[in-house]
Amino acid sequence: MNSVAPPLSSVVVFHEVSKWYGNVIGVNKLSLRIPPGVTGLLGPNGAGKSTLLQLATGQLRPSQGTVSVLDQRVWANPGLNRFIGLCPEQDAFYEWMSGWDFIFTCASLAGMKRPQAREAAAKAIESVGMTRHMNRAIGGYSKGMRQRTKMAQALVHDPQVVFLDEPLTGTDPVARRDLMEIIQRMGAAGKSVVVSSHVLHEVESLTPNVVLLNHGRLVAEGNVREIRDLIDKHPHRIVLVCREYRKLAAKLVAWDDVEGIEILPQRNGILVETRAPEVFYSRLPAISNEAETEIQEVYSDDDSLEAVFKYLVSR
Amino acid sequence: MPIFDQGYQHWNGQTSGHAWRWFTIARQGVRSALKGRLMRIALLAAWSPAIALAAMLCVWGLLERGSTVIASIRPMLEFLYPQLIADPKHFRVVVWTLSYDYFTIVEMQISMILILLVGPNLISQDLRFNALPLYLSRPMRRIDYFLGKLGVIVGFLAMIVVLPATAAWVLGLLFSLDISLIHDTFRLLVGSIAWGLAVSVSAGLLVLAMSSLTRNSRYVALIWLGLWFISWVTSTAMTDINRNRQRNRIRTDQFRAYQEENSTVAPKTPDEMRQEIRRRQNVRQQGYLHMQQLQSDVWEATKTDWRPMISYTTNLTRLEQQFLGTQPAWETVASFLPPEQQGAYLMRMSGPQYPWIWSAELLAGLSVVSIGVLQLRIRSLDRLR
Amino acid sequence: MLFQFEDVTKTYGAITALDNLSLSAPEGAIGLLGPNGSGKTTMIRSLLGLIPIDHGSGQVLGLDIRTRQLEIRRQVGFAPEDECLFPNMEGVEFVAYAGELVGMSRKDGMQRAHEVLDYVGLGEARYRRCETYSTGMKQRLKLASAIVHDPKLLILDEPTNGMDPAGRDEVLELSRDLAHNKGMSLLFSSHLLPDVEAVCEHIIVLGGGKLLTQGKIAEMKQAHRLGFELRVKIDQAAFAEKLKTLGCTIRTKDDRLIVEVPEGRGQQLLWQAAADQQEQIRFLRPQRGTLEEVFLSAVEKN
Repeated sequence: MNSVAPPLSSVVVFHEVSKWYGNVIGVNKLSLRIPPGVTGLLGPNGAGKSTLLQLATGQLRPSQGTVSVLDQRVWANPGLNRFIGLCPEQDAFYEWMSGWDFIFTCASLAGMKRPQAREAAAKAIESVGMTRHMNRAIGGYSKGMRQRTKMAQALVHDPQVVFLDEPLTGTDPVARRDLMEIIQRMGAAGKSVVVSSHVLHEVESLTPNVVLLNHGRLVAEGNVREIRDLIDKHPHRIVLVCREYRKLAAKLVAWDDVEGIEILPQRNGILVETRAPEVFYSRLPAISNEAETEIQEVYSDDDSLEAVFKYLVSR
Repeated sequence: MPIFDQGYQHWNGQTSGHAWRWFTIARQGVRSALKGRLMRIALLAAWSPAIALAAMLCVWGLLERGSTVIASIRPMLEFLYPQLIADPKHFRVVVWTLSYDYFTIVEMQISMILILLVGPNLISQDLRFNALPLYLSRPMRRIDYFLGKLGVIVGFLAMIVVLPATAAWVLGLLFSLDISLIHDTFRLLVGSIAWGLAVSVSAGLLVLAMSSLTRNSRYVALIWLGLWFISWVTSTAMTDINRNRQRNRIRTDQFRAYQEENSTVAPKTPDEMRQEIRRRQNVRQQGYLHMQQLQSDVWEATKTDWRPMISYTTNLTRLEQQFLGTQPAWETVASFLPPEQQGAYLMRMSGPQYPWIWSAELLAGLSVVSIGVLQLRIRSLDRLR
Repeated sequence: MLFQFEDVTKTYGAITALDNLSLSAPEGAIGLLGPNGSGKTTMIRSLLGLIPIDHGSGQVLGLDIRTRQLEIRRQVGFAPEDECLFPNMEGVEFVAYAGELVGMSRKDGMQRAHEVLDYVGLGEARYRRCETYSTGMKQRLKLASAIVHDPKLLILDEPTNGMDPAGRDEVLELSRDLAHNKGMSLLFSSHLLPDVEAVCEHIIVLGGGKLLTQGKIAEMKQAHRLGFELRVKIDQAAFAEKLKTLGCTIRTKDDRLIVEVPEGRGQQLLWQAAADQQEQIRFLRPQRGTLEEVFLSAVEKN
């Protein structure tokens, strides 16, 4: 969990926010602090991710509670948009404009004077790799190019906080790599980047810090591994590969914290279940250094974002 | 094995060639259209003229046989010309033709409404829901798709024109029990079926082309309504203006003749009076002949008057007149009237007089344009996205 | 041989979509990769016989793509990328109609539709109208309509687009099952490389209308004899320093270390270091290339 931090280090703060549409609940008593750096926003369909993003960017008014970004309330505060960037999920452009026109217009709309806006637009387009195509009309762009333009639009005014809703859909692996680099650079530079995505392995490569929503409520928040450690219901399942796996199994059975061992002959290894991973892992080097039972591989399918997601969210 | 595999099963059945695919599409289209309540009500309403037609033919058949069954309703038939009732068999063709004429005219209006309900959705919904890749990635050609969609319209129009026309014909035959009827009225049966097909193909192609232009079927419905009403209104307006012009000419001539007739000084002596009377009789005679000439000129003019063609439905009507052969029937009925009223009666009742081939050409031209539009709009996924 | 192209060229005006493309694909599950604009979509369309090719020849399942297109489409199922629905239909009608359009009789279509909907996991929802379905259900419906006529080759274009993790898992599970257990060949076109890796054994990489590379994934991933991927719990940076003093070369990737041990040593070195530092090794596997590396190197070579 995020430990207690000085005030400004929580850039986006939700305080007991609820939002419903008629009778349908969007988010329910959501209290959240998002720090600088890259944070992943996850959840199944209908979990409230889009609602959360819309509340954070001032597009929706909370039915209850307050939303603040950079210590200012978001609702009815258009001046704050100068510091917020949004890359929405929907794909809607002025198709007749060229990429350059569009980004330049966005920069001007953010309040920059013409020479500044020109420079900022050129820089943003360069950073997403669209300089070659910037004079073509957006109507002729491929999906990946449109996505890059959307990203450029979110960054052109150098915002402090950026919200990205499914930023990598439709992009090929080359574009994906480039865009992920941009996101990571922004996070490293101290900006707060919130990435909402369904593609778990992408979020995993971007950041270990996640916010997990389900049914409009906050399920978990923080570092993936720490969250995993807190999930008591499911013991950790760790695979050990060793040439003498049965001997290794015999040794491990004697440990108190080991709750189950499954033999995996096709992998030349064993699957160990334990509820005390700290203790377990700290004893491993000693075992491995013993003569017969040198451990070739250690890994846990269980420890990933995908596993955490499944444990916390699936019915 | 006692436990059966619940997973994916293979399938080795027969599949038919792509020639029958249009039927699948047409059947689906018809079923989908019939799901709406409005459509079912419209269909029921569409059959009432059919019932009227069948009733008329049956009554006439009974009349021919001199059956006592209809003795009670004979007085009601007095609205028809007594000459017709006096010799039913002789005038059988006339009555049948005119009954079919009325039937098809009413059914045509109903067909336009039906096409309004069914047509716009046919292709524009597929565009909106992006169903075309699903269609075209299956073993069928574009032409099968078009034929299938056209088949929906043909199917509905067959239900409300071809089927009732045939059923009424058969019933009329049964009620008159006269084999010679077949020879006399066969043209009506064939004509109405042919007309039904012609209308469904040409109007169907037109509405399909409109439907392929946009994803929003409401626009298509509006365009169809526009085509129907605006063309009708324009055509009627122009025809009326023209007719008024002719009538004004006649009236001015009449007035001039009247002036000429009454233009001299009042006569004083009996001789002068006799002269005057003779002169006025001459003028009146000439005026009368002149009027006749004018009227027949007007009648001739309508034979090449293109103004009715502006209305889309008038073209369909003109085709129907030709296929059913209504002109002789109207002339026969007009012969019952005194001669001076015949011209006006014919002009009023027998419909547009321009050559029917003009309408056929116009409809064929529209169909060709429709086919062109369809080809352009529904390209077989051969575009770079 | 699943399908093969010989010198196939297709141009749209000034743009060359396929440029003398020659390749032959074996049966099984094949991943189709390539940057945007590489000709993947055009290739799929020419496989289905939906577009005429300017030059060259090709065969799918032994049938010539220029002359026997209808037969090809009878044996190939295609799930397009965009959302596609037949309007105004319930789920089961949708699949039955899709089958009838291939030429099945009405009864066969209905029977098969229910069977296939059981397989993709659309239970009672099949009696509801398609417009009310969620994205995941629509994708599964699309898949069902593509396999209703039991094709020998199934082409999936971005099947996991926009799906949440649970839905993605199900679609990948179905694809894997069809390809590996039920003898259906699969052409899986996607930008999400982990998905491709989860389902396919072979890949074909296109770029600029040409074939960049193809082969079995397992063979193409580079093996690093002395390389290991490593993650420790307590202080990774300090551990990295310690390993450097022992002669290893270190690189960081995401939250792991890529360690290359000196010649002649193995995991023993790492465990020893861990015992000395009182570190917990939480992840240790021999370094394997990833499909992403294979792809990026193939693309960048051009």
